[in-house]
Amino acid sequence: MGDSKLFPHPREWAGELESSLAETLERWAESELMAKRLELKESYADLLEPAMRKLFLEIGLQRLLWPEEHGGDGHNRPSAALTAASALEQVARGDVGIAFALACLFALQQSVAMEGSVKSEACEELSPLIGSNDKLALVAPVLPLFRERPQATAKAVRGGWSVEAVGARPAAFGGNASLFAVLCSLEGSDHEMGILAVPAEAKGVEKGDPLKRTGLAADVHCPVSFSRVRVPEALAVALGPEECRAFAAWLFLGISACCVGAMFSAFEILREWGDNRVIKGRDNVFKENPLTASVMAEVAKEVSLSRILTWNLARMISLPEVYGPAGSEDNLVTALMIAHQVAQSAERATHQAMEMMASAGYAKEWNLERYWRDVKTLQLALGPYELAKMDVSRRFYRAVTL
Amino acid sequence: MRTIDDFTRPLEYLSPLDDPLGKIVREWAEEHVIPYRRSFDEDWKDHELIEPAFKVLMGELGLQRVLFPEDLGGWGLGHSNYAGTASYRLMEEVARADSGMAVAFGVVFWPLVMICMEPHVNRTLCEEFAPIFCNTTEPRFAANAMTEPQGGADIENFEIVKGSTIRTTAVLDGDEWVINGHKLWPTNSGGVCNLFGVVCTTNPGSEDPNDFAFIFVPADTPGVTQGPPYEKAGMAADKNGDIWFENVRVPAHYRAHGPGLDLLYFKEVITFGNMGSIAFVGGAMMNVYERLYQFVSEETYRGRPLKEHDAVAGVLADIARDIDIIRIVGYQYARMIDRPDLYGPRWDDEMVAKGRAYKYWACDRAIEDLGKAMNLMSTYGADRDWDVEKHWRDLKIVQLWMGGKQLCQAEVARWFFECETL
Repeated sequence: MGDSKLFPHPREWAGELESSLAETLERWAESELMAKRLELKESYADLLEPAMRKLFLEIGLQRLLWPEEHGGDGHNRPSAALTAASALEQVARGDVGIAFALACLFALQQSVAMEGSVKSEACEELSPLIGSNDKLALVAPVLPLFRERPQATAKAVRGGWSVEAVGARPAAFGGNASLFAVLCSLEGSDHEMGILAVPAEAKGVEKGDPLKRTGLAADVHCPVSFSRVRVPEALAVALGPEECRAFAAWLFLGISACCVGAMFSAFEILREWGDNRVIKGRDNVFKENPLTASVMAEVAKEVSLSRILTWNLARMISLPEVYGPAGSEDNLVTALMIAHQVAQSAERATHQAMEMMASAGYAKEWNLERYWRDVKTLQLALGPYELAKMDVSRRFYRAVTL
Repeated sequence: MRTIDDFTRPLEYLSPLDDPLGKIVREWAEEHVIPYRRSFDEDWKDHELIEPAFKVLMGELGLQRVLFPEDLGGWGLGHSNYAGTASYRLMEEVARADSGMAVAFGVVFWPLVMICMEPHVNRTLCEEFAPIFCNTTEPRFAANAMTEPQGGADIENFEIVKGSTIRTTAVLDGDEWVINGHKLWPTNSGGVCNLFGVVCTTNPGSEDPNDFAFIFVPADTPGVTQGPPYEKAGMAADKNGDIWFENVRVPAHYRAHGPGLDLLYFKEVITFGNMGSIAFVGGAMMNVYERLYQFVSEETYRGRPLKEHDAVAGVLADIARDIDIIRIVGYQYARMIDRPDLYGPRWDDEMVAKGRAYKYWACDRAIEDLGKAMNLMSTYGADRDWDVEKHWRDLKIVQLWMGGKQLCQAEVARWFFECETL
């Protein structure tokens, strides 16, 4: 079993559900991914899709946050943020891309299914997919690039929306999505923006050629165009800035938890190396050498602090009565800061682990390099850090022209 | 418009071959590599796309011959006083297109440094091996077989382990060496090598420098087995694999220089490895500049090109600063290699330590800058189509090879602070 218990998290926030789910997912990661990847490498068809089907459909994680009355498991309270973080850590330990798919789904589900504000019509529209026993609910968020304009526009038409975008770039899963969560500027609406859930098979959705990318092999990445795609009114899953920000805050929480899970694996690979690898001749292993031990300590520090930060973010989102709604401007900036911090930590930790392992660090056989590629690719879904810092300065320094 | 040629070089001490070599290689890169390199990752095993480009560069243009004396069909670089600066330019230009190709090409010369460079030319071995490289228009590869399974590149940590951890043995039997052992990871192994330089011990466990042996082994010698290439995070053009030597017999004169001198001159190999690594970093980063320049000029934020945003420009400035300084430092080190009369022998501990320092500094800067460049590009930063992520993966490998950062740190601290137990 893994070493995640070594890393502190606020245990008083983790209930029976979080603990038992984490154990189940730890076993899933080991049997469905880790035990097979030396042979199957990063094959989508042979390794990743079967593992996703097991996770989403058989174990049933795609129904976890879905209301019971719509065929889900009914964990659709704000406290599910902690459940989500706990689950995503363990899933990402096995595969970061699959965990990110789950994070995108959770972000969509919280938009429509949170207890007290359940959007029943949306749930009804989406239940055939999310409550399905055989269809994967893969959600591709289409968010503004460079933290600027939405990539898509939607015009109010009778009974719904007409969505337009040319060559939009989803954050992930453009090629294998069953649903796009498209942030649009809205015309003919009281709301300036909203997120529309666009079924991938809807008329007018055109997926481009798959793109070769650095990491996240579970993400079949491609640009997508929407040409007068009709979307029912009920599938406006988030309307207005606050609901859109809540989607983003959950997505940022998901990215943080995915990074923590990736770091768990990097740590485990490094620990094994440090136990056995000789430096300066015989009988002197890496973990006992002060120079290498100090680098290994940095890796452990990054994992520990990232986990604590991520759980604190989940806690804030889980207590709107204390911290305000997930989609408040303050919470979004906090989520953005933590996600960037944790993603940078994951980048550093995997870099340093590779440093220790020299050639084995970049050999695919040792599996470390895939986490390094994955966390970097995942970090890019947050957008440029330099532009994110403008949001931070706006909040903390009340900058008005940035 | 600014170009990569605007990055600074010390113009007063460039090699006389600099302009023609640079022009030839840049044209080769534009025609034979850059249009195809986005498919190189999938070609890691078969080299169906990569091999033709090697054939042009090394065989047809003849650059695999440069180190050998002119009368043996070479270009005489080993006898010149500009082997460092000329080869730096070569490596920089190849790495701009593909640093995996640059290392595979550069490592052809790595074992040959032992026998082709003044003042320790081994004329007999030059005559013996020149035909492999000079009498053909096909690409021919050489490799340094150093790294071993247990301690990895720790065998390079000479000052501490003094060769005592080398397990590949060489036993003199009459007028032949009999070699047994197992090596990992040499560039140009994985089935492509024609000539190995093998690091051996003549007395296992010994710390006596006289027992360190560097012996040439043609790859087709009975008893040599090359395993298939490893799959790596990047650098598909550089094949690495296992090599087994089982009762391999080569003539006694295939030992490069003999007791004591083999280890002494082998340190020069490390010096050239450090210089080459800096050139790979500098060349690749110049291409990152080209690609990033295009990206931040085309993509907009609030109606203006991304590069016109003050905070973004700050990051772009850092990246340009580092590329400029890496290039200056790289050429400076190459110059130090060219002028042993001023800077000391290339195999001296001082040259090795300073090379390690420059190498790991350049790698650290490049990896950090590449991470920032990818970040500025948002989701496009991970796209193969923009090439930046390729350089990120490739240069990470440069950072980690030859013992990685910690071995560099140990050698630098040992020399500058005269540490005695590191």
